[in-house]
Amino acid sequence: MKKSTLYICTALLAATCTGKPGNDAVSSGCDPVIFPDYSGVLLPRNIAPANFMIDNEADAYYTILSNGEASVGIKGKKVGIRMKDWHRLTQGQDSSIGVQVFLKKDGRWSAANPFDIYLSDDLIDRYITYRRIPVAVESYEVLDMCQRDITDFKEVIFFSNTMVQNNESGTCVNCHHCGNYSNSKMQFHVRQYKGGTVLAINGELRKVNMKTDSTMSAGVYPAWHPTHDYIAYSNNKTHQSVHAMSHDKLEVIDEENDIILYNINENAVSPIETDSSELECFPAWSADGRTLYYVSAHYEAPFGPDRKSRIFLDRKNLHFNLYAKPFDPDTRTWGPHYLVYDAEEAGSSMTWPRLSPDGRYMMTCISTHGIFPIDQIASDLFIFDFSKGTARRATEINSQYAESYHVWSSNAKWIMWSTRREDGVHTRLYFSHIDENGNFSKPFALPQKDPEFNRSNLYAFNIPEFMVEPVNISAREFAEFIAGNDAVPAAFESKRETDKDGVLITTDYRVDGTTSASAVGNGSTTEEMYLH
Amino acid sequence: MSPTVKKALPVSASAVILWAVLTFSQGAVLRKTSDLSLFLFDWNFLRESFLIPGGFLGWAGSFFTQFLNIPWLGALIWVLLLLLAGTLTARTVALPQSLRPLAAVPVALLVIANMSLGYGMFIMRPQDYFFAPTLGYLLMLGIAAAAWRIPTLWGKLAVIAVSAFAGFYLAGIFALAGVAAAGTGILAGHDDNSRNPALWERILSFVFALAVCIIVPLILYGLFTRYRLADSWSLGLPSISDDEWTATVRRPYWILFGTFLLFAAVRPLFAEAEKRNAGRRFAGPAIAAVIVAATATFWYSDSNFKAEIRMSLAADRCDWDEVLDIYRDVSTRHAGRERKALDKRKAELSGATSTVQAQMIVKKYDSRFFRPTRIMVMFRDLALLKQGKALDEAFTMRDGGVLQKSLNQIPMAFQAARQLYMNYGMVNMAYRWCLEDQVEHGWCFGTLKYMATYATLMNETEFAAKYFDKLDKTLFFRGWSRKHRVLSADVQAMSQELPYREIIPYMSFDDRMSNDLVKCETYTMRHFLEDRDAIASHEFDCAALLWAMRSQDIGMFWKALAQYLSTGSEKALPRHVQEAAYLYSILEKKDMGIPTDKSVRDSYDSFMNFIQRSSFSCKEEMDIPVRQKFGNTFYYFYYFVRGVQTF
Repeated sequence: MKKSTLYICTALLAATCTGKPGNDAVSSGCDPVIFPDYSGVLLPRNIAPANFMIDNEADAYYTILSNGEASVGIKGKKVGIRMKDWHRLTQGQDSSIGVQVFLKKDGRWSAANPFDIYLSDDLIDRYITYRRIPVAVESYEVLDMCQRDITDFKEVIFFSNTMVQNNESGTCVNCHHCGNYSNSKMQFHVRQYKGGTVLAINGELRKVNMKTDSTMSAGVYPAWHPTHDYIAYSNNKTHQSVHAMSHDKLEVIDEENDIILYNINENAVSPIETDSSELECFPAWSADGRTLYYVSAHYEAPFGPDRKSRIFLDRKNLHFNLYAKPFDPDTRTWGPHYLVYDAEEAGSSMTWPRLSPDGRYMMTCISTHGIFPIDQIASDLFIFDFSKGTARRATEINSQYAESYHVWSSNAKWIMWSTRREDGVHTRLYFSHIDENGNFSKPFALPQKDPEFNRSNLYAFNIPEFMVEPVNISAREFAEFIAGNDAVPAAFESKRETDKDGVLITTDYRVDGTTSASAVGNGSTTEEMYLH
Repeated sequence: MSPTVKKALPVSASAVILWAVLTFSQGAVLRKTSDLSLFLFDWNFLRESFLIPGGFLGWAGSFFTQFLNIPWLGALIWVLLLLLAGTLTARTVALPQSLRPLAAVPVALLVIANMSLGYGMFIMRPQDYFFAPTLGYLLMLGIAAAAWRIPTLWGKLAVIAVSAFAGFYLAGIFALAGVAAAGTGILAGHDDNSRNPALWERILSFVFALAVCIIVPLILYGLFTRYRLADSWSLGLPSISDDEWTATVRRPYWILFGTFLLFAAVRPLFAEAEKRNAGRRFAGPAIAAVIVAATATFWYSDSNFKAEIRMSLAADRCDWDEVLDIYRDVSTRHAGRERKALDKRKAELSGATSTVQAQMIVKKYDSRFFRPTRIMVMFRDLALLKQGKALDEAFTMRDGGVLQKSLNQIPMAFQAARQLYMNYGMVNMAYRWCLEDQVEHGWCFGTLKYMATYATLMNETEFAAKYFDKLDKTLFFRGWSRKHRVLSADVQAMSQELPYREIIPYMSFDDRMSNDLVKCETYTMRHFLEDRDAIASHEFDCAALLWAMRSQDIGMFWKALAQYLSTGSEKALPRHVQEAAYLYSILEKKDMGIPTDKSVRDSYDSFMNFIQRSSFSCKEEMDIPVRQKFGNTFYYFYYFVRGVQTF
């Protein structure tokens, strides 16, 4: 928007409103300090009003927002924009909203430097889901799974652990995830009391226990296959510990990791990667569902009671690399895995790969070590552009604090992630747009009705997901189902994999730690090998 | 004396006595109750209270609870509310003059509910329990009174319906109890107006009241996500993360509801009693006596509990003299009782014919001798360390570890971890326990202050601001917040101010991964024995040496002593260090070259002579005589204070 237009609008508005800045307002030359910082950001036109508060010291405040013919004046330190005014502004003829903040000090109005909020025609998915949790270490009490309509401020709790747990038996809920941004394919985990993985498929609920005699744990981090009825999960034996003296407060480490595939139709799990000297985690499907990406760190230590303390001592040497593994979803057959990015060589650790739905990008977290980026101040976002064959730190959106749990919008134009940039501890949801050259726009916070929300709220928001339609099962339905049903045990299926010579091998592995692999097809050998 | 004054006198006197007891005997407990609660002058804080039925009652309760920060004021408000509750009870159920003291039954139950908690106060949730039930009871009275006063059937039904819906939403079970009492009263056939409702009207009202008590929670459950359906009929009541203890805590409230229902049901009989004037002379005093006796019986009283709370509050002010005074005070207060017990024990022991009999006598008297709780010892040692006197005085005071007088033992971590860890410089562990505490029991003034202190110490200004912003919205801590916000932005100034300047010297240790496993004392010991940094401060080494002596591990002592000597510049070693060094040299039969005063050597010789010459049946019998002579030495601690339980 042209500055002259902005000033004309400002003058017109000011002239018609007494008690507001008039023509005599002088330019102060100072920049307005606003929170959240929406100056110069690029917003999708369909997002909720970008309300903000002004942190400059003043006796009174007046803000004018304008876009072409549309202009809105708002009094006060908190700039709360009415929905219909916001729609006028975002649907205006220009591709930006001009913002002019006036500050009144000692009875005189002055104009701070104006700024723009840019508008993108790339719309963003209407719904997001996230888990709202108190910042905590071991205890938990209230864990809410929420859905927010980001075109306005409506938030719905679609499940809360408080609806199931009782005084003495706690219930933890985590890792909600949906397939293809749809409400017809949703899942989340319920741990401990009334535990199991809850699947909501086409409105039907199922609670599954994915821990079998042949797998080390129930499913943890999920990745819903884009075309077939599979979900890849990691298996984790997770521990956490407190830093005695550090700005990083917590360290979360997995003592063991594997990756498994859950076959929804057969209610069966099969191993994908189960190397005992590797810590495999965070599966993520390519857009076509024919490659599974995951991260893994090489770690060798005897299994037993000392392994946990040992791995904490070795934590700084845990460097996760990025791998890929071909997959034929029709035959459920895997190919041999291969290294995609050697983070260890760079002295880093790569986690949480998430691929854009158009297949062009993959975003990961990168940190100094370990597997749990959200608790590491050093964690940054890292972007692979497959179309250009480039990989780089997304420096334009990283902050001095932890970035994690990123996710792509369904049109692959927006990313959302959890960041601790505001105070180092509380995770908040931020967004950024990626242009055709692979560059990110300035990050912006999820708009809130009360602009002070991010400052005053003491909860953390994590594992955000985009959805194109609302969760269609009520909290009460979830609660009644979870409380009233035991988890159905999943069966165990063999893994089908071709080796580098194209020989098809089916593999089982049992809880006693042995694997039996039988080559079928062209091969003719049978071998026994010890895993643990 | 006019009849009105005569009538009001017992009630007024009771109220004044209750206020005085609360203020002067329970002041610290009240103050701590306020510290464990939170009220913010903030719309969001109010809005959050509407997330659960009964939440508004909690909000109102929290509003009043904050005044317990000034115990006399908080107590006064509560006593006035109780007075109102008693008066309205008498009027609402039309208690005859002769039975007026019955109005004190609900009041006594409300008092018992709060004052019987003891250690439960540290794990109660939510933290609005002190005032909320009293306000809830007033609402109960209001609902019943309104329903009984409205003359028409439709009016009564409307009151019942509105009270059930709106009342349950705002005040939870208290409103339902009021509705149930209203229905019961109507069925019993009394009205506060001239109209005498027909039987069918009375039955209909009663059935309707019962029906809404069942149906309303079922309907509203679908609108909330913060509780289980099964908990719908206890919303508004406090709970503890232990079913047995929760049942105990809630018992007075269930009795309260039952009592009020009973009053509602037998109200016509009260009218009869008034007419007959039966038992007027004795009934009142007898009822009053029973109520007072019951209240006194259930009133939690334990000198260690109170001492812990007083020490904790003094530690919050960094008033270490006060901490030590409280410790000494509670020790000496037992002196008279101990002397008597000792004389009796002596007399009985002189007649003992066997060792077994002697041991039984010793055991019998064991509980009559003062023993501190571990938290008291922890606070005491902390105070001595902060004053630089620990290595001279820590073992001059009574030691041990008596269990809490409580239904279940509350781990020290739940009660004082954030405070102890913070003062020992283990700030990340303090942060951790602030978080655990807020998750389990909600944010409170104390936790917010500790979080702000933590963030300030770690120079995490933006993080600290989060908590200062909250404290700015409080009534009593906004001044604290303003002062410390300034300090958080000025490291130099901060390091000169309390409590920071006393904490920072202890923060000289390496980072490592740690977990206290809810064992605060053992973790603290391990920390000082294992986490020393190459650039440790002398304060850290003093604490490490003290903990090495507490560990009774000879190797640890020598190691800690070497570290202590490397950072210290004192001319003479502190008394206890000399005692330990001398003792361990003898035990290990090697001279470590540690200079010891003649008086230390002499006292050791006397100690050994005394033990060798005495002829006691068992170590327990020997304990007190030895303590009387050598209870101020490390030798006594080493040989006699063993196997202390910490949790």
